Amino acid sequence: MQMINYIKSENYRLLRKKGLYLTSLICLLLITAAAVVLYLLGQYETNFPYATSLFFYSNVISGSLLILIVAFLFNVALTGKDTSLLKQSISFGVSRSAIFWSKLILTVSYFLLLCMIGMVYTIGLGESLLADDAQSVESFLIASFNMLPIVLGGFFMIHALKMLKFGDVYIIILLLFLFMFSGDLLRMILRPVTGLSELYQYAPSTLLDENLMEFVDQAATFDYRYWVVGIAISAVSLLVGAKRFAKQSID
Amino acid sequence: MYDEQSEGVKNMERLIQTFQLTKMFKQEEVIKSIDFTLEKGEICALIGKNGAGKSTFFKMLAGQLMPTSGDIHLFGKSGKEMTKAKKRMGFMIETPAFFPDFTATQNLEYFRIQRGVVEKERIYEVLQIVGLANQKKKRFRDYSMGMKQRLGIALCLLSSPDCLVLDEPINGLDAEGIREIRNLLLKLNQEKQITILVSSHILTELQLLAKRFVFIKNGMIVEDLSKRTLDEKSKKQIRLKVDNPTKAAQLLESAYPDIRYKVLPDQVISLQNHVEESAEINSLLVNNGVSVMEFRIEALNLEEYFLGLVEGNDAND
Repeated sequence: MQMINYIKSENYRLLRKKGLYLTSLICLLLITAAAVVLYLLGQYETNFPYATSLFFYSNVISGSLLILIVAFLFNVALTGKDTSLLKQSISFGVSRSAIFWSKLILTVSYFLLLCMIGMVYTIGLGESLLADDAQSVESFLIASFNMLPIVLGGFFMIHALKMLKFGDVYIIILLLFLFMFSGDLLRMILRPVTGLSELYQYAPSTLLDENLMEFVDQAATFDYRYWVVGIAISAVSLLVGAKRFAKQSID
Repeated sequence: MYDEQSEGVKNMERLIQTFQLTKMFKQEEVIKSIDFTLEKGEICALIGKNGAGKSTFFKMLAGQLMPTSGDIHLFGKSGKEMTKAKKRMGFMIETPAFFPDFTATQNLEYFRIQRGVVEKERIYEVLQIVGLANQKKKRFRDYSMGMKQRLGIALCLLSSPDCLVLDEPINGLDAEGIREIRNLLLKLNQEKQITILVSSHILTELQLLAKRFVFIKNGMIVEDLSKRTLDEKSKKQIRLKVDNPTKAAQLLESAYPDIRYKVLPDQVISLQNHVEESAEINSLLVNNGVSVMEFRIEALNLEEYFLGLVEGNDAND
């Protein structure tokens, strides 16, 4: 009951935050702008090869970092300055655990809702404005499904770090490292280490690159590695985050 | 330490109890083994300088800080059971925090939902109580310090609590605001039987409000007095105006070797002890040719008492 009340109150707050609507609007506008630009170039440029739904969708598949920035903004809506009110919630008997999970459930729900709306909208624009490639929608859905656990892992990591009062700059640096450079770095560092030299293949950045390549080659397939890595990042982030937050001073 | 009047209410319901409560920040012990009890119906003032440990103590009661050791009981409940007890309490620790872009009503609505208070009208009732009912459109960011404090008290009252824990509730208020909050707290105590634990550095205000005074210094409770005992203890200064302060001082020193006195300007001498022997002191001076132009027993106010207590202890440290 305590957690439900807390979720309801946070929902009351979240729905009155302009940032949430603004971020959603900008995301949808960017998708629209990309589709319209490709459409217009396809109309007016002869031999323009990219006015296809496949290329349009590939922008989403390659935009994991952008998606994570949106995830960051959604999470910050409830874990940013608003956390100054936590001391009062704690005083009134709301447990730290209820706070940690309620904020997560709410922000991830709205984030996933926006992702779903964005995907449907993207497919709608791609299929209506741009040249249709065979099986591009199916490939897009498969590639998105592969991306999902990694992106969610990133979201949970952001949440845990924000709740533990890590600075935004540190979080962004960590995101950049994990989702952009971790593969290259692991490959360099672990190359001489027998048995670990192939570990880079499980790095989020490697997986995301691979996913994009397979999508562009129209060879996207479901791959368990995305889920293994995504679940690992999520589990570590949430377990460590919740445990440490439960002992944190909130004043 | 706990005086006779407080002992008399031992059988009453205990709303707050702490046992050997300590708090360490890194290597520094900021709360040192505090045993404290708040009985139902009391208005108890916690008095201490900045850094004495008042807020840390309150934060541990509120659950914002975890005690390093010791135990806290609220309404007789401890551990996880305290969650239920906290529904009967209202805490305002330091400056109350609210959403700056929300109005008072929106802010209270957020907490009403969170605390599971069913009646929406309660928001308007508490705003009425604290005198913010006519500030419907004003955002919290535009509030004065006094209005913020009032909204903090309104939040405490939202769930109709049995006990209020208020840390510096009159901080930042003007004289009129202080008087209003004091009257409000007295009214809540008398009419709604709300027990109040309050701290402030404006000690004279607590003197007019509290019925019990607990002094905290360096994380320890150094004194715990009822108002009556405090008033009695405070009456411990004799002010004399004499024609010859030097001779008077010599006479006093020879008659009372342990006498503590100060020679002040305008031929005034203040005596801090032997107050109960005022008649003998007067006779001693007059009989030895010292003209006493003024002789009165003054009650120290709470602030003077507190400072005396703390400075005195400081000197012994």
